[in-house]
Amino acid sequence: MLLEARGPADRSMRAAPGGDAGRRPPGSPSRPAAFLLGLLAAWLCGGAPAMAQGVSVRARVDRNSVAEGGQVSLIVEVFGTSLGEIAPPDVSGITDFDIVGGPMSSNRFQWINGRTSVTCSYTYVLRPRRIGSQRIPPLGLLIGGRTYRTEPIDVEVLPGGAGGAPGPGPPSPGGGAGAGPGGAARPGRPQQEPEGAFMVRVIGDVDARTAYVGQQVTLRVLLDTQTEILNLAMKDTPTFPGFWAEEIKVPENLEMRRAQRGAETYSEYTLMKRALFPTGSGTMTVPAMTYQIQVRRRSQDPIESFFFTPTETITRRTEPIAVHVQPLPATSRPDGFAGAVGNFTLAVTADRRESQVNDAIGVKVRVAGEGNLNAVNALPLPDLSDFKQYAPKVASSTSVVGDRLRSEKVWDYVLIPLAPGAQTIPAVRFSFFDPRAGTYRSIASPPIAIQVARGADGTSGPAGVLVSQRDVRQLRRDIHFIKQAPDGLRDRSVPLYRTPWFAALVFLPLATDLGVFVYARTRDSQRANARQRRERRARSLARRRLKEARRRMAPSTARAFYAEVAQALTEYVAAKFDTAAAGLTHDRIEELLISRGASEEDRRTFHRCLEACDYARFAPTSSGPEEMRRTLLAAEDTLVRLERSLGA
Amino acid sequence: MSPSRLALVALLTLWAAAPLSPALASTPRELFQLGNSAYEQGKFEEAAGAYEKILAYGFADPRVLYNLANACFKQGKLGAAILYYERALRLDPSDQDVRDNLELARGLIHDRIPEAEIPYPVKAIREVLDALPVDVLCVVFLCVYYVAAGLVGALPVVSGNVRRRVLGYGAAAAGLCVLLSGGALFYKHQDRTAAHAIVMRDRVDVLSGPSADNTVLFTVHEGARLEVRNRRGGWFQVSLPNAMSGWVPSEAVERV
Repeated sequence: MLLEARGPADRSMRAAPGGDAGRRPPGSPSRPAAFLLGLLAAWLCGGAPAMAQGVSVRARVDRNSVAEGGQVSLIVEVFGTSLGEIAPPDVSGITDFDIVGGPMSSNRFQWINGRTSVTCSYTYVLRPRRIGSQRIPPLGLLIGGRTYRTEPIDVEVLPGGAGGAPGPGPPSPGGGAGAGPGGAARPGRPQQEPEGAFMVRVIGDVDARTAYVGQQVTLRVLLDTQTEILNLAMKDTPTFPGFWAEEIKVPENLEMRRAQRGAETYSEYTLMKRALFPTGSGTMTVPAMTYQIQVRRRSQDPIESFFFTPTETITRRTEPIAVHVQPLPATSRPDGFAGAVGNFTLAVTADRRESQVNDAIGVKVRVAGEGNLNAVNALPLPDLSDFKQYAPKVASSTSVVGDRLRSEKVWDYVLIPLAPGAQTIPAVRFSFFDPRAGTYRSIASPPIAIQVARGADGTSGPAGVLVSQRDVRQLRRDIHFIKQAPDGLRDRSVPLYRTPWFAALVFLPLATDLGVFVYARTRDSQRANARQRRERRARSLARRRLKEARRRMAPSTARAFYAEVAQALTEYVAAKFDTAAAGLTHDRIEELLISRGASEEDRRTFHRCLEACDYARFAPTSSGPEEMRRTLLAAEDTLVRLERSLGA
Repeated sequence: MSPSRLALVALLTLWAAAPLSPALASTPRELFQLGNSAYEQGKFEEAAGAYEKILAYGFADPRVLYNLANACFKQGKLGAAILYYERALRLDPSDQDVRDNLELARGLIHDRIPEAEIPYPVKAIREVLDALPVDVLCVVFLCVYYVAAGLVGALPVVSGNVRRRVLGYGAAAAGLCVLLSGGALFYKHQDRTAAHAIVMRDRVDVLSGPSADNTVLFTVHEGARLEVRNRRGGWFQVSLPNAMSGWVPSEAVERV
């Protein structure tokens, strides 16, 4: 028994980011029959992974050589006694061919002598991209949770007309290059369908193949079809390396247009629009985008066509698009150019023209126009010395008018006047590059005059600290100017320390100090000589006193006698020690004698003699000649002793 | 008019016009005014000539040197300008204008000559001393010297231990100040008499010996300041702060 059933290759649609997931063209009806058929196919083809047994996969092509522009059918077959869940083969690795049709899937069941076998096949229509030996790489299939790979297949692509017959399917509708939308750029290559398949193609297109850095390039992705589209989704998230991409909204329900491609009429849908802004110079590439499209399948079975909705998921990919990006001209680039490319207008407004000191003024700087302002961050309002300026509040917005991105950026400043009088908000300049004219343009707003009155409390301004100060910039340097000589010129080649005056002034204190030193030494020397002289004369003075005492040695002059002896003794000590005799007491004399090393016997004799004299002077009744003679002898003996001991 | 009267009139005219011409100006003051007038009129060469005449009279006023350096600078004679700025600075190290102009001129020379590393305290002291005029330092030295000498001289004539001790300490402190100020004066003397030379040519090759057939060690350019270490014939042995040294012909440099 041979049973062949054709079913949908995909049982579920991928959810594609960017709002392209699950788009359903208007008018495509929901078919419960398709769902039932899907369930049946799921049960037949992969209902239970555990059932996958004895699986083998094979890939083959219907011809091994093909002429340039021709087509070749790729058939991927899965054999097994029972197959689990099968995912369509991963054809993303096919880079040498364009997939212009497929996949078409079919299942075949055989039951021979009580043994069953299942064959599941996927058919793709490929068209080679270049001549020469091209290779279909190994294709992976996920069957029952395991991955199987096919063998690579080489296909020889011959120059046009030289090789094998063109592949099956209708002739190319719409012709060749140049038939793209808008005609501004080469559209995607016509994607032919195999016989019995559908004419569906996805075309990527940009409005300009040459642009400046920052200039908008609009990308459109179109879907041309001659069959009913049930659902579609992007396979991968679109990324645009080298571009700043802004989405241009397309209607949720795709709008259908009629497009004539040669003799063929297509239904055309715009799937996606992007405003692309190149961020660097050189050749930038808009990468290919892959769509998976669920279409109604033509069925030869009238019962199937009547009761069910046969569907099929096919894959379509756009061509990569190269865009040549030119750098912005380096010459004539104005100061303050912040990277804005497009065509913009500038407006500066103040919420009032009259204010008071410390009363805030709102100033809006608005830049708007066609182009992208996201890269513009420089503050357009310069520093103002007469206003305190706060960091502005920046708001930006974009809109799309006729597929062109329009941007608006508003810097909202708050300025506080610091001084009364007629103040001015100077002109604000904004520079941008106009890609249409190919030149830089600078626009400026007119200055805004602000009349600032004194504050409500009569203050003319804050006390100094609020003034926004700036560093004084040195523009250039030069030498200081020449000097004048109002007090006349003076030769200063000889410093003061090399003049004779300086030497004299240095010598003078030396001489003075030397003189003082000599004087002091001389004075000391003289003083020392006087003391020695007095000391030397002490004995003779004492003898003279004793001689006078001897002359008065009589009872009538006893008092004078003893006074002379006492004075002889005292003056002797005073002369010996160069001191005054008047202040010498017994204790002082004792100290002096001890200091010069007089013996105790001599000191005692001296004091005894002196005390005897004092006693006799104040009590003369007991003094006779003999007593006076002994006193005199004792005094002479004492002086001799002292002379000996003090002189030693 | 008789010839004698004509001669008298001519002499009077010459006398009256004398201050107006550099060739006829006689006194340094007149020459200085003439030089300044020429400078203000942009006649820098004429101004430099007037200033140089003042110097030829033996009038080494720092203002004359400064103005001459300015005139040379305006003529693009960078080496001469630096030379005269250096000389003006030696005479009056406290003049900030000279320092500024010298720094500006040094910034225009081709050679970047690294200065020797000086520890901070030494550098600070040197900066203070460099800013002091030598005559002021002489006066300071004399003052402390006289104080010290007075205290020392009073010691022999003062009696009493306490008084003599106080005088002794005071004399020691004053003596220390005399030593410091004397050292500063000695530093200034060394600085004034230091043998430096300025390169006066666009470029000068420094050779390994005092003759032209020696190896070229390095090249210095106009305005570079060199330390003169020795002299032999018509050659100077010079060195840079980074210890590079060699010989240059004496006519290529000018002693500061």
